[in-house]
Amino acid sequence: MFQYFPIPEFWKTLLASLVGVLTLVGIMTRPFRWNEAVIAMAGAAVLLLLGLISPADAFLTLIRDWNTFLFFLGMMGLSALAEAAGLFDWLAVQAARFAGKSAARLFLNVFLLGSLISMVLSNDATALILTPIVYVLVTKLRLPVLPYLFACTFIADTASFLLPVSNPINIIILSRFPLDLLTFLRLLFLPSLVVIGINIAIFFLLYRKQLKGVFDIQRLPSAEQAIKHKAFFRYTCCVLAVIAFAYVIASAIQLPLSLVALSGAVLLLIGALFWRRTSLRQTASRISWSIFGFIAGMFIVVRAIEDTGLTTMFGNWLIQLSGGTSFGAVMVGTAGAALGTNLINNVPMAVVMISALAGIQHAPPVIQHGFIAATMFGCDLGPNLTTVGSLATVLWLLILRQRNVDVSGLDYFKVGVVVTPLMLLAGALTIWLLL
Amino acid sequence: MRVLCCLDGTNVEAVSKATEMLLAPQSLTLGILYVIDTGPRRDIEHTRERFLRPPGPPGPREHEMQQAEHAAAEDILNEALRQLPNAETFQRQGRPEREIVNVAAEWQADLVIICSRAEYGGKNAIGPRSVGHIARFVLDHAPCPVLMVRPLTREQFPIAR
Repeated sequence: MFQYFPIPEFWKTLLASLVGVLTLVGIMTRPFRWNEAVIAMAGAAVLLLLGLISPADAFLTLIRDWNTFLFFLGMMGLSALAEAAGLFDWLAVQAARFAGKSAARLFLNVFLLGSLISMVLSNDATALILTPIVYVLVTKLRLPVLPYLFACTFIADTASFLLPVSNPINIIILSRFPLDLLTFLRLLFLPSLVVIGINIAIFFLLYRKQLKGVFDIQRLPSAEQAIKHKAFFRYTCCVLAVIAFAYVIASAIQLPLSLVALSGAVLLLIGALFWRRTSLRQTASRISWSIFGFIAGMFIVVRAIEDTGLTTMFGNWLIQLSGGTSFGAVMVGTAGAALGTNLINNVPMAVVMISALAGIQHAPPVIQHGFIAATMFGCDLGPNLTTVGSLATVLWLLILRQRNVDVSGLDYFKVGVVVTPLMLLAGALTIWLLL
Repeated sequence: MRVLCCLDGTNVEAVSKATEMLLAPQSLTLGILYVIDTGPRRDIEHTRERFLRPPGPPGPREHEMQQAEHAAAEDILNEALRQLPNAETFQRQGRPEREIVNVAAEWQADLVIICSRAEYGGKNAIGPRSVGHIARFVLDHAPCPVLMVRPLTREQFPIAR
């Protein structure tokens, strides 16, 4: 609109900032339980209608990030089809069998299985697919549910920077600031192991009394029963093994990882259709399409804010705070990303951070790497602080508790507040030492 | 059975009534209750929300979760029936502490028996926080006397005076 009725630049900046902030506040508070995608897309639509971002600019922004969109699609497709093959159920039963009737060993196995699934299929698969399966498993085994449930939810994020594909946030950040595989692994693999170790140790300490028991494996079906179709199951295992290998190769030679994920999903889909394990419609219904609207909306809103110079100011402030040292870069990057991720969801925070950090390209490589690794680390691990979503959700739960309505999310928060700051600190220090 | 009645200067009548109740087992009607805790399911929904997914796992998974919950509940009640035949069974779903006091009121229970906390292999030691949040809520809100079952731990006594 303002493209036709020119208004002063100052007002444009103010309006764009206002719409951007309102969108972020909307995502944080979700008034009337509106879907985040609706809020993000409404923000983008208002900016487009007011002419605060041109349609061409918005289009180019989305096209530039095609790797992120396709990766989300491939990742969700891979997980949904692997679930259809019964792979997760089979792995969970195997984890129980290898535990030798010990509740504590099953607890450890859930952590290890969660790490493996997060590493190859991303944290989404662990948090959304493995968690309900583990819930069913421990309910059948008559073990305390909460420790195992928390183990799944926490390890989903704690193990989400073992590889670039372990969390879509990594893809968002790496699309803008590419790191070669060796640098990625050098900076983040060891910190991953450190925080996974801390996570497991503290959880064992917290739940030691509830993990002393034994379970009766007879209560579970055999692992074979989890497999719905033998040939498709074997095919799925083979495709996933190839994909895991291809992910590493593609990361090493800087090929877009979305292409690998998408190819894997297509291969699994062909197998599933061939053995009639699913239909196109069923597979499509397992993919959360609104996520694409959410990311698209966020990319456009942040692009418009970028034009006002606000994100650059935020980035410069972060760089200034770091004091130009690698230690400062890692600490400020981690703390900023982790706090931001708890204020707004981690996807918007990652988008804000890549825009804010545009200015670090002139900084020495050690500072650049420090900021990039710390941003991934903070955005990936940060959500564990308030696993329920964000600080806004926690505040909402506190209000509900006063009204005696619902307190379940607070259990998460109590554990998160104990474990996450320790993991953030230990991980950040390890990254700094490895820089 | 040796029952220790603790007086506070105002409760002689209430205590003697309770002892009468203990001495009249011929009129005993037993009800056994198991509550499926919906808290963990709500936690799963919160996680889905954070990952920007609609609430509730996809249909078949949801069904599987419900089936496992109900099968475990039935199993637990049937096991109890072997020890307490002729008991009336109640299976509820929700927040256990609230369901327990509500069922006690609806069924007009004269006494609620509850353990201090679930025991998963470990020993239920005495000490601070040895009463779980469910038992604590029931002690605070029950509409009738509550018998809180604890293991016999006489060897740990006397505790510091």
